[in-house]
Parts: sequence; C-alpha cells; structure tokens
Amino acid sequence: MLLSIKDLFVTYGAIEALHGISFDGEEGGIVTLIGANGAGKSTTLWSIVRQIKEMGGKVDSGSMEFKGEDLSKYSPHDVVNKLGITLVPEGRRVFSNMSVLENLKIAAFGRKDKEDVAQDLERVFGIFPRLEERKSQLADLLSGGELQMLAVGRSLMNRGSLMLLDEPSMGLAPILVQELFGNLATINKEGSTILLVEQNAHLALRYTTKAYVLETGTITLSGSSEEVGKNPEVKKAYLGG
Amino acid sequence: MKHRNALLLVILLALALTACQKTSDNLVVGTSADYPPYEYVDEAGNMAGFDIELMAEIAKRMDVKIEWQDMPFDSLIQAVQEGKIDASISCFNYSEERAQLVDFSDPYHTSEDAFIAMKDFTKKFTKAEDAANYKLGVQSGTMQDEWITEELIETGLMSESNLSRYERVDQAALDLKAGRIDILMADDVPAGVIASQDDDLEIIYKEMLYTGPINIVLPKGSADLQAEINRIIAELKAEGFIEKLAIKYFYE
Amino acid sequence: MDFAKFFQYIASGTAYTVGVTLIALPFGLVLGLILSLMHVYGGKFLSRIMAVYSTIMRGIPPIVLLFILYFMVSGNINLSPFWAGSISLGIVSSAYQMEIIRGALLSVSGSQMMAARSIGMSRMQAIRHIIIPQALRLAIPPWSNEAAIVIKDSSLVYALGVPEVLRRAQLISASTQEPFLAYITAGLIYFALVFITNRLLNRLEKRLAIPANP
Ligand SMILES: Nc1ncnc2c1ncn2[C@@H]1O[C@H](COP(=O)(O)OP(=O)(O)OP(=O)(O)O)[C@@H](O)[C@H]1O
Ligand SMILES: [Mg+2]
Repeated sequence: MLLSIKDLFVTYGAIEALHGISFDGEEGGIVTLIGANGAGKSTTLWSIVRQIKEMGGKVDSGSMEFKGEDLSKYSPHDVVNKLGITLVPEGRRVFSNMSVLENLKIAAFGRKDKEDVAQDLERVFGIFPRLEERKSQLADLLSGGELQMLAVGRSLMNRGSLMLLDEPSMGLAPILVQELFGNLATINKEGSTILLVEQNAHLALRYTTKAYVLETGTITLSGSSEEVGKNPEVKKAYLGG
Repeated sequence: MKHRNALLLVILLALALTACQKTSDNLVVGTSADYPPYEYVDEAGNMAGFDIELMAEIAKRMDVKIEWQDMPFDSLIQAVQEGKIDASISCFNYSEERAQLVDFSDPYHTSEDAFIAMKDFTKKFTKAEDAANYKLGVQSGTMQDEWITEELIETGLMSESNLSRYERVDQAALDLKAGRIDILMADDVPAGVIASQDDDLEIIYKEMLYTGPINIVLPKGSADLQAEINRIIAELKAEGFIEKLAIKYFYE
Repeated sequence: MDFAKFFQYIASGTAYTVGVTLIALPFGLVLGLILSLMHVYGGKFLSRIMAVYSTIMRGIPPIVLLFILYFMVSGNINLSPFWAGSISLGIVSSAYQMEIIRGALLSVSGSQMMAARSIGMSRMQAIRHIIIPQALRLAIPPWSNEAAIVIKDSSLVYALGVPEVLRRAQLISASTQEPFLAYITAGLIYFALVFITNRLLNRLEKRLAIPANP
C-alpha cells in the first residue's frame, strides 16, 4: 500500500475533529474522500502533510504510513521534497503577486535537475494549455478555474508520487470542473497516485476508483466508487435522491 | 557590476566627508557662524568675524592649528561638555548655570543689551522693563532670553505668550519688519549691524543687563588650556589687538 | 553680493545631504527589514518588544532622537558628526521602515505561507523566497514616501554641525541678510533631490511589476 492511515485521532484544542479514521491509497490509484462541510476532510489532508500544527490542531494518536515509512518522522517540507507528497490546498492558494510562470518555476525551487524542470514545465503547459497562454500574467488576475489549474500545475512541478487535492471543484463552473477532472485523470494515468477530497460526490465518484465517506470525523462507508455511488444512503445524502 | 560601482561611490563619498571631520592634534573650536559681526561666513564661504579672527590669533600664539566646527548655538555647550569639540567661541556670556556645565576663560570683550524697533515706533520706552508692554522677540538660549524670562515673565510683568523665541536673530528681524513683534532684544553689536543694514529699523534703547563680558567656553577641568588662553587674552589686550579688532568689526 | 558664489555655497552642501541620505536610508532599510521580520515571525515576546520600539521611536521628534543618539550613545565612541548623524537618522527611519515592511509582510503572509509550505518550503525558505520578495515589491510605493522624508530629515543633522544645505542657507542668510533667496535656493535643492528620487523609484516599481496584460 502506498498510503495507509490507521485509527487517526485529531483534535483542535478541546474539539475532536477526527475520531479514529482508517483508509488506504493504492499505488497508481485514484481515491476519493467525500463528506459534507466540517466532516474533517481538510483536517485529514493537513495531518498527512504534517501541517496540522500550523492549523492549530494536533494528531493525538493513530499511525500514518507512506511506502511503509512513518510520516510523523518527516518535517512538512521533507514530506514534499523527500517523499513527494504534494497538497493542492483548499481555496486555490497561489502566489498572487507573482506571474503564472514564476509560480510554476518557484514550485521546483528545491530541484537541481534544471533540464527536467524545463520538461515538466512543458508537461504542465501540455495538460493546461490555458496556463501557457497566460504565463506572464499576474496570478491574482486569473479566473477561478485558471487559478485551480495553476494550483494543480504547481504541485506537478514537484514531481510528486502522491497528489492530495482539497475540493478542487469548489466554486468552478461545471464545464471547468469537467475539464479539470479530465486533466486529473490524465495526470493519474501518467503515474501519480491521487487522493481527492470532495463535497461534490457525484463528480468525485465518476472520476475515481475507490471511495470513502467521511461523516463528522468518522468513516461510515467505503468501497469501489461504483458501489458507493449506488448506496441508497449516499444517494440520499450526497447525490440528491 | 553596476551595484558594486554604486557601493564604491557611497564609500568614497563617506570617506571624503569624514576626512573633513575631527582628526588629531588640531584644536577643534565650535562656533555658530550665524551671528555677524561676531561670527559668520564671508562671501567666499569662509569663517569670518570678530570672534573668529581673535580665536585664530590665540591659536597662532598657542602654536596649534585651528579646526572650525560650525553648529547651531543651542548645541555648542553640550558639544563642549561631551568633548565633541575642544573649545567654543560664540559670543558667550558668563552665567552660573553655564558655569556648572563648562569652564570659562577670562572675558575678552564686553557688550550691552539693545532693543530694536521699527523707525516709526513712537510708544513709550524709557527703561528696559518697558519692553514688557510690547510683543517681544529674542534669540532662544541667549542672555537676553534669560533676562526676559527671569525679569519680565517670572515676575509677572508680561505673559509668555507675548514673547517669540527665534533660533537666530535675523529671523527675529524679519518678523519685526513684518509686524509680528514690536521689539527685538539682542546683543548691541549684532543689533547695530541689523539696524545699520536695514533703513526701517533702529536701536531705541541700550543698557547692560545680564550681558556684559563675553568669554571663551572650555570643557570642565581643562585648567592648562584655560591658563594659556587667559595669558594670551591678557597679552592681546595689552597690545591693543582686541581693541583694533573691535573697531574693525563693530564700528567701521 | 556675488550671486554665483551665494548659490554655489548653498549647493555645495548637497554632497552632505546626499551622503547622509545614502547612509541613513539603506541603514534604516536593513535594520527595518530585520526588525519587521522579528515583529511578524519572531513570536509573541519579540513582537511585543518591536511594537514598543516602534511606538517609542515614532513618538519622539526625530531631532530629539538625533540629539540623544548623538550625545549619549556616541558619547564614548568618537564618531564624526556626519557618521553619527547619518546612523542616528537611519535608526529613526528604521522604525518607520519596519512598519512599512511589516504591513507588506502581513498583506502577503497568511495564505502565501501555506502555499509555500505546500510546495515543500521550510518556514525560513518561505520567508526568504516567497514572502520577502513579494513584500518588498509591495513596499516600494510607501517606501519612496519614506525616502523623501529621509532626504528632508537629513537637514536635521545641521544641529550636530554637519554643513549640509539647510545650515548653509542659514549661514549665508545671516551674513547677507537675504533669507528669502537663501531658503528658496535650499528649498529648490531639496525639491530636486526628492523629485529625482521619486522618479527613480517609480521606474524601479514599474520594472519589478508584472504586467497585468502582457
Ligand atoms: N483551526 C481550527 N480550530 C478549531 N476547529 C477547527 C479548526 N479547523 C477546523 N476545525 C473544526 O474541525 C472540523 C473539521 O474541519 P475541516 O476543515 O477538516 O472540515 P472539512 O471537511 O474540510 O470541511 P469543508 O468542506 O467545509 O472544507 C470542523 O468542525 C471545524 O470546525
Ligand atoms: Mg475543508
């Protein structure tokens, strides 16, 4: 198993946000974690990338392993640089005062293989031609969909083996969401494992192979995305009937 | 490369500027060169005046090179006290407060207090205290300032709001002409210069109040320097040198 | 009166005015940057101290600070009035520059720090590579204001005996009884210096800015 989470408890002060969740991510797979507002989806991702402390939270117990290695031994930047786990954070956090190109280039700041960086840049532009058209534009002035593409593109520049995405569909027009998810499928085929966190269950289940349902800090259902999509409870709660 | 040149320029400029500052064996003498005819800069931009020429002669007889340091009058006493300069000659009158901070040489000249007004001033002014009835101007920190403060304001003869304190006498003269003050009180020598340069102004009254003898200011505990300067002042007085200087600067 | 000499005498103070500014401004920038970083990222204790520093330094008239720093701090070290004045002015300016950079840091910070962490930067790397460059870019317009203030405040070192433009205007005004001409000349020199500086900084700002519509 590439990623394996067992019995994870996370608290924010007196509030327990995750009550012992467990889930796995298979190498090369595309997994989704669906849940409503406040279910604990972002909390889970921040815990994996070891940034939970910055968010004011704390992992109380449980284990998180990546390729059999204990994640708690790694600093937030080593999680990215040594393990290749990248997070595309909620809310399209890009460097707003830098150009599109600067945003992409700076993401590869730690890499010495300059030629490969140039190749990866071409790859990002291949997947998101729109970013190439806008490459010298200030990131602040991009549209919502373009910003999300930039956030994803930036994490591609790190050549991650595991990409975590926090609600990439949020606030995007349906056409843009489809375009973006189509791109995620391409990225997945090219070798990156993907863990997708979504409220938009309908879409998430369509583009993934495995799914977990998270409800107020507890995983209530898991299975193949197809099976989960057929579950009557899920249909009622997330798929509008 | 460009940046390096800029840095070099800054360093060179700084070095060039520091080169003009206090070095070693020279006698660094402070003065506030905005008080003609005692001390001022001449057309060539050099220090000139009664005090300047006198001090130059004293230094010559001491066989030291003099290095002038101009600074505002208010800063001079403190600069002497902190050892930033070795001595100061800037028309200083003796006072007990000043004597607690610095030492004085023997007096080298004696001056009076003068009151200047516009020529068309016709109101009553027969004794110094009459000044209390008018809007007054004075250079701050001078003996005249002290006299007004102690004899007119603290005694209740006038309110402080009727007194304007100026950094320099020439500023006060401008306000006098503009009508913002009625009377300007100053040392009689610079007052004479102002009155002679400006046809609208004249000295209406003179008296020796707090002023009087003027002295060179020295750091506390510089007895050797003080003794030598006093000896030379006595010598210059005996030779008539100081009198000649006074005529040159004050009465010609 | 010889007008050429009159102007030349005042104008020759420009070297001092420029010199004081060229020392005070960068000195204040480096100090201000360090202090603002301590203020924003140094934790509660340092942040408190910086806030106090800023309040005190900005609450006292520059001329008073100049005297205190010159006579007290440099009382034992024999600094020339020029250097002591320039450095003192730089210290005064550091409090203002700290506030300018702090404002810029805060307006970049938050989400940018998160974004930097998620591309694998450590806190220090994020501050160095992401936060500072963007903050400095944002700080240029308010900073050019401060540059103009320092140019004008450089006249304060006259109180320590540096023969810069203003002091020369005072001296020549006292000896020639031409205060209006003397101060107009000084005013024009300051205006020219501020004008040129603002022009240069505007250019810098434009060069560093990213075109909105390439
Ligand atoms: N910094 C924090 N301090 C205190 N409580 C927090 C903090 N961040 C999140 N929480 C709480 O933890 C719970 C889980 O939050 P989380 O952000 O992980 O939810 P989410 O599933 O990502 O929701 P959304 O879909 O709205 O983004 C919520 O009840 C939330 O209020
Ligand atoms: Mg969330």
